[in-house]
Amino acid sequence: MKPAKNIEEFVKLEKPDVKTGGTMDERTLDDSFAAMDETIRAGRPNAAWIILRSRAAKLAAAAVIIVGVGLMMVYRNPTVQQPPQQTVSVAKSPAEMLTAMSLNMAWRRGGIEAMDEQSSKAFKMLGSKPAKATIEELRVELNGV
Amino acid sequence: MTIDEKILVWKFNRGSKDAFQMLYEKYKDDLLGLAITLLRDRSLAEDVVHDVFVSFAGTTGTFHLSGTLKGYLSTCVANAARDRNRMRSRRDVGLEAAEAMHCDSGDPVEHAINSEQSGRLTQLLGRVAYEQREVLVLHLHQGMRFKEIAEALGISINTAQSRYRYGLDKLRSIMNSMVTK
Repeated sequence: MKPAKNIEEFVKLEKPDVKTGGTMDERTLDDSFAAMDETIRAGRPNAAWIILRSRAAKLAAAAVIIVGVGLMMVYRNPTVQQPPQQTVSVAKSPAEMLTAMSLNMAWRRGGIEAMDEQSSKAFKMLGSKPAKATIEELRVELNGV
Repeated sequence: MTIDEKILVWKFNRGSKDAFQMLYEKYKDDLLGLAITLLRDRSLAEDVVHDVFVSFAGTTGTFHLSGTLKGYLSTCVANAARDRNRMRSRRDVGLEAAEAMHCDSGDPVEHAINSEQSGRLTQLLGRVAYEQREVLVLHLHQGMRFKEIAEALGISINTAQSRYRYGLDKLRSIMNSMVTK
């Protein structure tokens, strides 16, 4: 072993094995507890201090601020509501609506209900039906005789 | 730093006196040994350890540790011991007078045993310059690395290492002179 190593080993081995006395322990602990009490009394950490100290609290505070600013912007500048699209109705004459082709197309699109609806619309456009119509009147109207 | 110690520090930071007492019990003897080796005066050393623990207690709630607690407390003791040493030098108190000062150890027999055990090295180190003794003890007894010592003492790593080497050389020459006598 090198001489320097010998000296190092000697110093390590000769480390003083001392013990504190009871009086010293009592005095140190009493004074330390008093110092702790004083520190706790003097500086109870407030919310700002906690935010500044803790990384998680900093992130949470930043998130709250961002959400708050976002909400404020949304309420101050509400997006313009688009008017609902209006359905365009194609006006048709009752006569066209009641042709065989028109009724056939309605039936293909929506079955008997669509045909019925189209017929109802056509009759509505024609106006109220005559209170009374005899077979003879119909035959005259249709045949012109 | 072990998990247990981290938990103790965490509890201490929340004002637990039990946690503080456990930390005190764990390190008090080691730190007293360090202070005695540096100052060669048990009474002064006890004052230093007392002051360090009271200052440490005052940091409850705000204590933040980056290294080990032992390293932190050892550094505090070394710094406080240096201040005491300077004050003592100004007052020009001789080492013989300092040795005779009051000791707090309640049991005289225990004190005698402790003195016997710690006496040889303390006497030898007493002949080494204070700055060199400081680095020797912090490195060999407290297990601190040169980088930690340099940061703690506010010196460069090279300076810490050269003080360590000079200290070892000085100790060797002292021991050689004792053998040849």
